Parts: sequence; C-alpha cells; structure tokens
Amino acid sequence: MFVNLTKLDLKETCPLTDKGAPKLCMKALPGEGAERSCAFDGARVVLMPVTDAAHVVHGPIACAGNSWDNRGAKSSGPQLYRRGLTTDLMEMDVVYGGEKKLIQAIIDVARKHQPKAVFVYATCVSALIGDDLETACKEAQKDVSVPVIPVNAPGFMGDKNIGNRVAGEVLFRQIIGTAEPETVHPFAINFIGEYNIAGDLWGIQPSLEAIGIKLQACISGDARFDDIRTAHRAKLNVLVCSKSLTNLVKQMEQKYGIPYIEGSFYGIHDTSATLRAIANAFGDADLIERTEAHIFQKEAETRAVIEPLKARLSGKRAVLFTGGVKTWSMVTTLRELGIDVLAGGTQNSTPDDFLRMKALMDPTAHIIEDTSAAGFLTLIKEKSPDLIVAGGKTKYLAHKTRTPFLDINHGRSLPYAGYAGMITFANAVARTVFSPVWEKMRVAFPPEVTVNE
Amino acid sequence: MSKAVNVYGSINGCSTMTGPVAEPRSYTGNPQKNSPALGATIAYMGVDGLLALLHGSQGCSTFIRLQLSRHFKEPIPLNSTALLEDTAIFGGWEHLKKGIAKAADKFQPRIIGVMSSGLTETFGDDMVSALASLRQERPDLIEKPVVLAKTPDYIGSLQEGYQRTVLALLDTLTVDPAPRESNTVALFPGAHFTPADVEELKDTVSLFGLTPLVLPDISTSLDGHFELEPAPVVQGGITLEDIRRIPGCIASFSFGPSMAVVGESLQKRHGVPHIAVPSLTGLEAVDTFYLKLCQLSGRPIPERLLRQRSRLLDTLADYHDQLGQKRIAIALESDLLISLANCLVEVGAVIQVALAATALHENVLPNFTFPSQYAVDVGDLEHLEERAPGSHLIIANSNARQAALPLKIPHLRAGLPVFDRAGMSQKVWIGYRGTQQFLYDCLNAMAG
Repeated sequence: MFVNLTKLDLKETCPLTDKGAPKLCMKALPGEGAERSCAFDGARVVLMPVTDAAHVVHGPIACAGNSWDNRGAKSSGPQLYRRGLTTDLMEMDVVYGGEKKLIQAIIDVARKHQPKAVFVYATCVSALIGDDLETACKEAQKDVSVPVIPVNAPGFMGDKNIGNRVAGEVLFRQIIGTAEPETVHPFAINFIGEYNIAGDLWGIQPSLEAIGIKLQACISGDARFDDIRTAHRAKLNVLVCSKSLTNLVKQMEQKYGIPYIEGSFYGIHDTSATLRAIANAFGDADLIERTEAHIFQKEAETRAVIEPLKARLSGKRAVLFTGGVKTWSMVTTLRELGIDVLAGGTQNSTPDDFLRMKALMDPTAHIIEDTSAAGFLTLIKEKSPDLIVAGGKTKYLAHKTRTPFLDINHGRSLPYAGYAGMITFANAVARTVFSPVWEKMRVAFPPEVTVNE
Repeated sequence: MSKAVNVYGSINGCSTMTGPVAEPRSYTGNPQKNSPALGATIAYMGVDGLLALLHGSQGCSTFIRLQLSRHFKEPIPLNSTALLEDTAIFGGWEHLKKGIAKAADKFQPRIIGVMSSGLTETFGDDMVSALASLRQERPDLIEKPVVLAKTPDYIGSLQEGYQRTVLALLDTLTVDPAPRESNTVALFPGAHFTPADVEELKDTVSLFGLTPLVLPDISTSLDGHFELEPAPVVQGGITLEDIRRIPGCIASFSFGPSMAVVGESLQKRHGVPHIAVPSLTGLEAVDTFYLKLCQLSGRPIPERLLRQRSRLLDTLADYHDQLGQKRIAIALESDLLISLANCLVEVGAVIQVALAATALHENVLPNFTFPSQYAVDVGDLEHLEERAPGSHLIIANSNARQAALPLKIPHLRAGLPVFDRAGMSQKVWIGYRGTQQFLYDCLNAMAG
C-alpha cells in the first residue's frame, strides 16, 4: 500500500559523510532535539497549494488541527485549499477502523465544497489501524464526480523530504497527463517545486511574460488542478525548489520527453541565470535575444535600487539556516548585498543542495552540525552574526539572542523571488539589520553606579 | 473518555437549538480543536527546568512548536522520540527509553515531561513499564523526576491534554506530604489563562496576604521575557521545590470546569480542601472568588479591588445599551467558552450560537452547573460559519477569519491560535479589571 521507498532511489543520493550534511537516510535519534518534520507534512506541502482542490486529512486532530492554514502559499483565486478538512479520528474509529467514516467524509466534502479534486492523506494512526486508503478512495469515487486521489505518506515513513517525493509520485502517476490543453504554446514550461509562498510566483511571472514564456503549470503554487493535468504538454520543466521533486522531473523526462533544468529565482544573479537557462534550453534566437535584453534592463534597474542598501549592508556577516533551493541560492543572494555567510546549515535539503551551498561559501565558513535549538543558540553566541536568515520556527529563538532576523521560509509575508523580490528582500534585510531596537537591548538598565562617586 | 460526538451533539441539559440545523456530516471542517499533546506542551511550559518530550513522530512535535510559536511569539522547547517506520512494526517502547535517557544525558533537565501521541497510544506503548525498565538499566536515573502524561490525539482537544498533564504533574511530583504552610494556597489555572491572566491571579491572591503556588505557572515562562540563556529546557515557571510544597497548602483553587479534577485529586491524596472556580470573568464570578479569599485569609476585600469593582460597575452602566441584546456567535474550548459566554449573558447580550471544541460533560465534576441561558453544542468552525449569520460578533480563534471575513461579522480573537493580533499573551480577561477589558474588546470589535 505504500510507495516503495527503494524505488525512489533514496540510497544513491546520500553518500555524504561531510560534517553537517543533511541526514536524509540517517534516522533522527530519539531525544536529541533535532527539529525536523514528517513525511505527511512533506507530502502536504507539495500538494496543498493546489487551490481548487479539497485536502482531506485522514487522521486524528494532531495532523490537521494544529497545522491547517498555516503556510504562506498564496492563491489568486480559489480559497478552498486553505480549509482544514479532516476525518478527526476518535477513539472508536481507532478501535473499529476509520474506512467507512473516510468514504463518507470524502463524499460529504465533495458535495459541500464542490472541489476540482479531493486529495486524501494517510497519517500514522490511519495507517497503523490498517485503513486501506486506496480502497476507500476507490469506493468514494463511485459517488464523487471529480478525481479522488490517495496520498500515502504517513508521518513515520520518514522526514519531510520523503513526503515531498511521495507527492511527486502522486502527481506523476495520477494527475499529470490526464487532460489535454486546448492549445500548446511553443515556449510552454512548468515550474516544479514553486509554492508561491507570500506570492513569490507573482514576482517571477512578469519576467516570463516579458520574454514570451508561457507557464503551462506551476507545481504547485497558485495551481489549478486542471492546469497540472496538462503539465505533460510543456516543453521544459524548471525545477525550482531544487531536489525534492527530482523524481518527478526525471520520470516526466522519460515518459514525455520533457527535458529539465534546475534554477532559483532568489537574487539577481540566480534569477538572470535561470531565465537565461530557460531561453537557452529552447535555443530560439529571438527568445534568447529578448531574454538578454530583459535581463540587461532588469539587472540595471534592480541594482540601481538596491545600491544604497548594499553600501550600508556591505561587510555584514550572516548565519544561514534553511532548506531546499535557498540552501545555496541565499548564499549568492546575500553576497549581492555585500553580506558574507559565516555559518550555514540545513536540515531538509538534499546532499546536492548541501554541497552546492558549501561550494559557494567561503572555505573558512562554519558548517552547522548540531541543528537543535541548543546547538543553534551556542553557535550564535560564538559567532555573534549581524543577521540570522532562517525559517519561522527559529524566529523567536533568534530574537532572544538580540540578533537581527529574517524569515525566509513558508511563514513569511513578503515575496522574495524575481527582480522585484530582490528589492523587497534587500529592504527587509536592511529593516532588520538597521532597526533601532537592537541597540536598546544592549544597554544595561538600571545603569551601573560608579562606586567612587 | 470522550464519545465520538462531533456533529451537533448537545453537551448539556438544554435542548433548545438556537440555529438552523445543518446536514450532518462525517468530516470536521476548519477544526477548532488542537491536539491534546499541544495542551500538554502548554502545561509543561509552566514548569521550570523541565524538558518536554513528545513520544511520537517528528511531525507531531514540529506542528506543535509552530502552532505555539506563532501564538505566543516564543520559542517552544519540545523534544521528540522521533519515531520512524520500524516502530510501526516493533512499537516505540525502546525508543521512549532511549529518548528519555538521551534527553537526560544531553540536556540535564530538572524534570522530564513525556506526553504520548496518537501513534504511540495506538501501538499501546506502556510508558510506565518503559520508564521502570530504563531505571533498572540506568540506576542513576532513579532520582530523576519523569512525568508521564497520556495524551492520545484521538481523545479530546488542547484542554483535555492540558488537564491530563497538570494532573500527571501533580500526582507524580507530590507523592510525599509537605509541611503545613498557613498562608499558602495552590492555584490550578486552566488552559485558557494567558501568561498575563496567571500573573494577575497571583497578584490578586497576594493582595489578600496569601502566598500562591501556581501549577503550571506560564506567567514567568511564556510571558515573552527577554533574558534567555541557551537551553532547550523551560526557563521560568514553578520550580520543583515549590511543586513539592503544594500538599502543605491550606486550600487549592481550580479555574475552569475541566480543572476541578486536579484540585479533587490533591484533596483526596493530601486532604487539602479544594474550591472549584468555574470562571473568573464576569461580575458575579469574580465576586464569588474574592469572597472565598476573604473567608480563607480572614481579611476584607482589598481597597484596590473594590475600586476596580466600582469602575466595572460604571462600565456596565455606560455600555449596557450597546451590549444589551447583541447576538454573539462563540466557538472556543469549553472552559473559556463558558467563562466568556456567561459574562456576556450577565450584561444582557444573547448567545446566538455557542460551539465548544469538545464535549464537556465527561470532564467536569458531577455537581457542575451547566449554563441554562444558552445551549452549548460541539462543533467546528464550519459549523460556526453556518450558524453565525445574523450575529453581531464572532468570538473565536484566528482560524475563524475564514468564517468572519466572508460573513462581514466583526471577529474578536480569543483562544488559540491567535496569530494575527498582537499582544495576546499580555491580555487579561480575568478579575474585575479583566472583565472590563473583555467588554471593551467586544465593544471595540463591534465598533469596527
């Protein structure tokens, strides 16, 4: 009933023995305080931004109740994806099984909310009590006119990264290629792994429009279910959140002959490089020319705006702790503002992301090994950086160290992608680094009395 | 044990249905429940030097940290036994032993507080025997206090997890009797008390010349204080020494219907008289509590509190017309719901719909008086959305924004999580002053 993990080629990707390398295959130890997440979370992160679908969590309240509507993935239209829908398994369900309840729940959700599809997520408890998710979905499908899609990634399967991959399998096997687009644009691409956090996607789209690229499907930021079904007709896949969906692009290449490139839209350099790579992949002379002209113009515009900020930020030192594409892309992005990364670390990245980060960083830079809260605090004390760049779960801990902090993960409210995003990012960095509040906290109060007087 | 009522099961004697009955449905839509383990975490955060260890998969603890962090704007030190697929076959018993040992060795906490999850309760991991077996292998851990709270995800909500954990803390850490202290009282605040509520409560009790011992005391740990040394354990909160003094108290007070079982347990085991205080919001509720404190301390009501009372009366006069007949839609965990709804009824407002997160009747003592002026049903925020139209004010957590915005009904944030309003942990809604503030907040929300 589960996706066969050995077929996901997890083994080949984790040969790293480097200190601080992400431990994809290594088990987290009980009680050591590593703050990672679970496979269910990873699967939901990928699929939940499908805005016109209903997302039903088959589990007890811990899986949906604590965490619904808590990510910053934005929609330009439907809001259905933000609803917390769950079978809310109770004690009697655990004793007698929850399949019947699940089938009825899917039918009720479909009737009440009129979704374009229903994603149904297994959890630890539903898997343990032996509920057969696939069969229940098939049974419900008889009464539901839209696709009912089982997502079998219970939390104990592994950490977030494994859940990302399971979601990739679901997209590939059950959704992509199930409908044909009305027309096919000559320069149609898919984004894979762009979740439109805080509206990131909308910072990239103006550039795509300017150079004449059509976004066939974004997987899955601000996505509509029907667009994803036609993703197999794109001519190129652009893997944005780095490796977590590599399995998906590889399989799409095999089955549909769609080549893929990797890219990032954080920072001027990476944005330009990715746009250029897209144009080059098509090889169309006009497209390449348009792209170069666009890059030339936007780089100049963006640099002019951030120049005064860069002048003030130059020489500042940051600690970077994140996952995915940001692991390495943020190193470059910060450097564009004159900021050096003096320590970097990651938990949810792949070994490739990690190596890329390491290569970009100064060789003397510190690699964060102890990723627990305690390890993090000790590091900040040792290094006293001018800025911490990390995710929301580190935010309040970082504030206690009286250090400027920037949230770059899913909880943030500002978009940082594309050229416009770089300006937003630069302003956000400057706002925290130069905030007048930090100085106040370093002043002892009441003032020490001089004994001699 | 709560029954699986999640669709309009009336939880009290009152059968008047105040809104249109929606079609029954088999799913929960926009849950207002949080997991019991999240409630357990809040309870553990009120104990100094404690390391909280969730026996479950890593997602369980990550979701809790994120949810509590965005509510309290604080880091939440919560460790996990990080269960993976092998435990689905072999169970998590060995992992729990390893987790406790590792946490004890690596972080040197004064107390370890364990809570279980849906995953481990489904395995049937016996936490007591795991701890006993670990202590056999590691005699050095015999003296290390370890609290075990059973908080399966599929029974109850935040409030039930909190209740079970406070009970576990008390029962585990106050086995021995303590010397009688003639002026000391034990206070058991409910899960709905903010850090500032707890502080207000302590201050007030002190005004009567009594020394409060508060379990748990989040007023000095989750209050957003600035001083912090690098440590993964709780900083602030009641100390182990103070918890051990609790059996010597002259009385205990529990706050919120669900907390009465805690006071009863203390009374049963150590003979400390227990006084259940269902609510501390609203004139009559506060009057009753202060009169008890007078009795206990032999002192009159302090001048300062009488002054606050007269101000509250003045507010009631000034705003009775703006509050009277206002229709309120309220969805909260039951302790907070009853506290706020009773206060609103007291000033002439009408409860159009009251939706509790979980069934209340199994959590309270048999002698508990259920509210008679309104019906309390169990429901989620989708039920609220269906039944709130026509009301003047919605009182619920931030997630109810999905209901309030399209309905264009003012939404006063209460409960947990509240992530889109500043200053929740410093909000005081108890006592005369707090009641006044609560009414102001209702009025201001309705003023737009």
